Amino acid sequence: MAVLAPAKLPGEEKPLSRAVLASFYDNKIVRDFGVATVFWGIAGMLIGVIAAFQLARPELNMGTPYTTFGRIRPLHTNAVIFAFVGNGIFTGVYYSLQRLCKTRMFSDVLSKIHFWGWQLIIVSAVATLPLGFTTSKEYAELEWPIDIAITLIWVVFGWNMFGTIARRKEKHLYVGIWFYIATFLTVAVLHIVNSMEIPVSFLKSYSVYAGVQDALVQWWYGHNAVAFFLTTPYLGLMYYFLPKAAERPVYSYRLSIIHFWSLIFIYIWAGPHHLLYTALPDWAQSLGVVFSVMLIAPSWGGMINGLLTLRGAWDKVRQEPILKFMVVAITAYGMATFEGPMLSLKNVNAIAHFTDWIVAHVHVGALGWNGFLTFAVLYWLWPRLYQTPIHSRKLMNVHFWLGTLGILFYALPMYWAGFTQGLMWKQFNEEGMLQYANFLETVMQIVPMYYLRGIGGVLYLSGVFLMVYNLYQTAKAGTLLANEKFHAPVVIDHEHSHEGGHWHRWIERRPVQLSIGATIAILIGGAVEMIPTFMIKSNVPTIASVKPYTSLELEGRDLYIREGCVNCHTQMVRPFRSETERYGEYSKAGEFVYDRPFLWGSKRTGPDLHRVGQKYPHSWHYNHMMDPTSMSPGSIMPPYPWLFENDLDYADTPAKISALRKLGTPYPAGFEQVAVQEARKQAAGIAADLAKEDIQVKSDKEIVALIAYLQRLGTDIKVKDEQAAAVAAE
Amino acid sequence: MLTRKLPYAALLALSALLSGTAARAQDADPAAAPAADAAQKAAEAGADLTAMLWLMGGLTGLIIFVLLMLFALLWQMRPLLREVYALPTIRESWYGRALGLFLGDPVGLTGKYKEDVMAGHDYDGITEYDNDLPPWWKYGFYLTIVFGVAYFIHFHVTRDGELSAAEYQHEMAEAALLSAQLGANDDPNKPTDYQSLTAAADIDAGKTIFAQNCAACHGQSAEGKVGPNLTDEYWLHGGEVNKVYHTVKYGVQGKGMVAWKGKLSSKQMLQVASYILTLQGSKPANAKAPQGEKEAVGKPVARL
Repeated sequence: MAVLAPAKLPGEEKPLSRAVLASFYDNKIVRDFGVATVFWGIAGMLIGVIAAFQLARPELNMGTPYTTFGRIRPLHTNAVIFAFVGNGIFTGVYYSLQRLCKTRMFSDVLSKIHFWGWQLIIVSAVATLPLGFTTSKEYAELEWPIDIAITLIWVVFGWNMFGTIARRKEKHLYVGIWFYIATFLTVAVLHIVNSMEIPVSFLKSYSVYAGVQDALVQWWYGHNAVAFFLTTPYLGLMYYFLPKAAERPVYSYRLSIIHFWSLIFIYIWAGPHHLLYTALPDWAQSLGVVFSVMLIAPSWGGMINGLLTLRGAWDKVRQEPILKFMVVAITAYGMATFEGPMLSLKNVNAIAHFTDWIVAHVHVGALGWNGFLTFAVLYWLWPRLYQTPIHSRKLMNVHFWLGTLGILFYALPMYWAGFTQGLMWKQFNEEGMLQYANFLETVMQIVPMYYLRGIGGVLYLSGVFLMVYNLYQTAKAGTLLANEKFHAPVVIDHEHSHEGGHWHRWIERRPVQLSIGATIAILIGGAVEMIPTFMIKSNVPTIASVKPYTSLELEGRDLYIREGCVNCHTQMVRPFRSETERYGEYSKAGEFVYDRPFLWGSKRTGPDLHRVGQKYPHSWHYNHMMDPTSMSPGSIMPPYPWLFENDLDYADTPAKISALRKLGTPYPAGFEQVAVQEARKQAAGIAADLAKEDIQVKSDKEIVALIAYLQRLGTDIKVKDEQAAAVAAE
Repeated sequence: MLTRKLPYAALLALSALLSGTAARAQDADPAAAPAADAAQKAAEAGADLTAMLWLMGGLTGLIIFVLLMLFALLWQMRPLLREVYALPTIRESWYGRALGLFLGDPVGLTGKYKEDVMAGHDYDGITEYDNDLPPWWKYGFYLTIVFGVAYFIHFHVTRDGELSAAEYQHEMAEAALLSAQLGANDDPNKPTDYQSLTAAADIDAGKTIFAQNCAACHGQSAEGKVGPNLTDEYWLHGGEVNKVYHTVKYGVQGKGMVAWKGKLSSKQMLQVASYILTLQGSKPANAKAPQGEKEAVGKPVARL
């Protein structure tokens, strides 16, 4: 425990007087997080640019497993969310928290553990995701040992933060800190609940939730990762750095109270808007809709308080690039948080969901709000950390314009692409048939937009390179003020504590009560949506004919997960005529009860696969996986030649079976012992079928298992028979 | 000046409207005379409807007119209202704020600016104002809450709204009506008796359809790849044009032949079936080995 004692610096000064103590802020940790922010920002965005061009030119998948879109897309999202924005959060929090609490961070050792622990977690993500170790749950792809490491490091962060708050020399907590506290608590809850999984081996696990429940938990998490990782901490940063940069008072204290509490309470409910028209129960979908609409005002409360703080300072905005970045950031936040509720309306969602419209929407938030606010904070911090003016204001301005153009070049083509494709999917001709029956037609139509979007990404990234140069030159010109001296009152002044002020002042003096209040606020929504979905059976009506996967299909499914197929293919036929005509009967909740994790997907770059089973012969899949363009000329899907070379690894099969049985999949007793044998038998059958079509393949290759899984998809319900019976009855 | 003339203009317009309605109602009278046959009854109903529409239009016009008059009146009263608005008791009330908006004072939308910094709120040099919640924001928030409650009641309490499954059934029922109109024949067991198309335009169309949809599996020259060779005399599911049409339309479950029903129109399917039969004996390179039974095309083996 000794190492975790409050930081003492050599030569710390004796109190100057009875009331004032000289002490030092830790600036080095701020600098370190800042450098990490920039480093991972470039890495994450570079991967993003590559992934963007892969969609236009499949050969950029480079023919290796480690560089295909399905594996690097999660690397891109994880890198920009948790590495770039994550380090950005810590940069801003470590700087502002010390100053808002008028004390050094609680423990330098904890700060260091936090910093290096977080970087190690990112490195482990870079190491595992391209190798195909993934849970496939979006923004939570990292496998269980890394999940545990994240939990531990997050606790270190919380410990350090609450320790600092406890030692504050400031009676009241500023609004920025309320947001930091809500961020810490909610992310902890989200991460732990969504990462519940049973390990099968060192880097493989199965979600304890299945199908509909897994989807609900995942999007409660996914949506609130946006809320509490990309939004609340950045609102906290905005509340510190905007008034600092503008040198203006915050517009409205009471607005910050109302929008803080309403935001954290309402946000949590809105997750199901990611699952509209899916097999999620209707009542949960409707809750997602209405809470999303109610979220407009709380979100805009932050925007208003930000923009109106600039009242009387707009002349500064014209001259100060930092404020320009901030204004665009806040405006992008306002646009994205208005668009989000609109996309949550079912009739809009019916067109936009699964298309590039959603990709445009998130990038307005990510590039505009998170990116630009991060840049503003870094530009503001660097001269202060290095005690010298910024190297070049001109370059800052160029960065600003490159970034803004980049956002436009990114977002507009994606909106266009999303809108185009969404309408093409739904278009019927006069004869009552799909106008674009061939899915590929709708893809080829938007490939030019994919090029433009990639160019937008390059513009944005080149701006970031200018920033790196500018920050580097600034650092070189100055010296790091590693420990910044400050004076703080030794004791909190009780005589002037304004006990009779605003009612909310009471809780601002009490971090524990504030934390409890925030925890209650964020638990309600999730509980109301999850508990009935888990406890009440009628929410997921079971279907007798739906059976567990065979051991070979299970292995095939794990290959589907490893290759990241879910990044481009959905498994959720929605109840629209345009989808049942194209894919077959719409997906039912009861069909997914053995799906751990669920693989509904969120983007349809390729067609839906839920009813692909038995639609084509084995040989079609064989040829298609070897070279997609052989079966679908013009396809942008990458080839998967390694599936034809690798032998299927059966080592974990028995462990997988017993893990799934533990979770409730009704595999017969002792199935572990015969699982591999059964799998080999089924594989031999598929190889024999392929041989009939003049394709010679060894039955122990991975491709055979993948074909087994694909051919099983969506075949358990005998819809065709039912339909025939219905026709006969009429 | 315009505002002074506005009421008179509106009155004039309204009287014109009303007299028009009356005239129409009189026109309709003769048609309302007793008549025995159904056609005349229908005409009568139509006339009643016209009269009704005119009446409704007239009433709407009247209401708009009254509102315009009121507005004009209020507009002229502005100097007086400004005096009223100046009273603090009025200004603080909700109708006072509405009055303010009318008089061009936006405080009812934006809220009041209080330019004094709050005492005791100083965090590392950051101070705070205690400005009002902008009313447009606050009432917007209330509105979304009302929307939320109403939405939930509409769909889950009174159950007036169609949820996903019902919406889908509705959509399918509408589509079924359409396909009934188009006379779609969707019974796989009902034989068709089409003749092969021979017009060059049809064969060309069939060729295009083949290249776009069939070539991936059957090869560009129908030599057979994943799917069988279509240029030889051997057929798995019959080589007569109606048999080929049937295979194209309904597919072959479990063997990978896609059902093109709903993706290609009947005409397109017949075009492509006819095109395929023109390829008989074309002997393409890399032809796949024969599959199925030998049949001579052109002479239907058996009537369907």
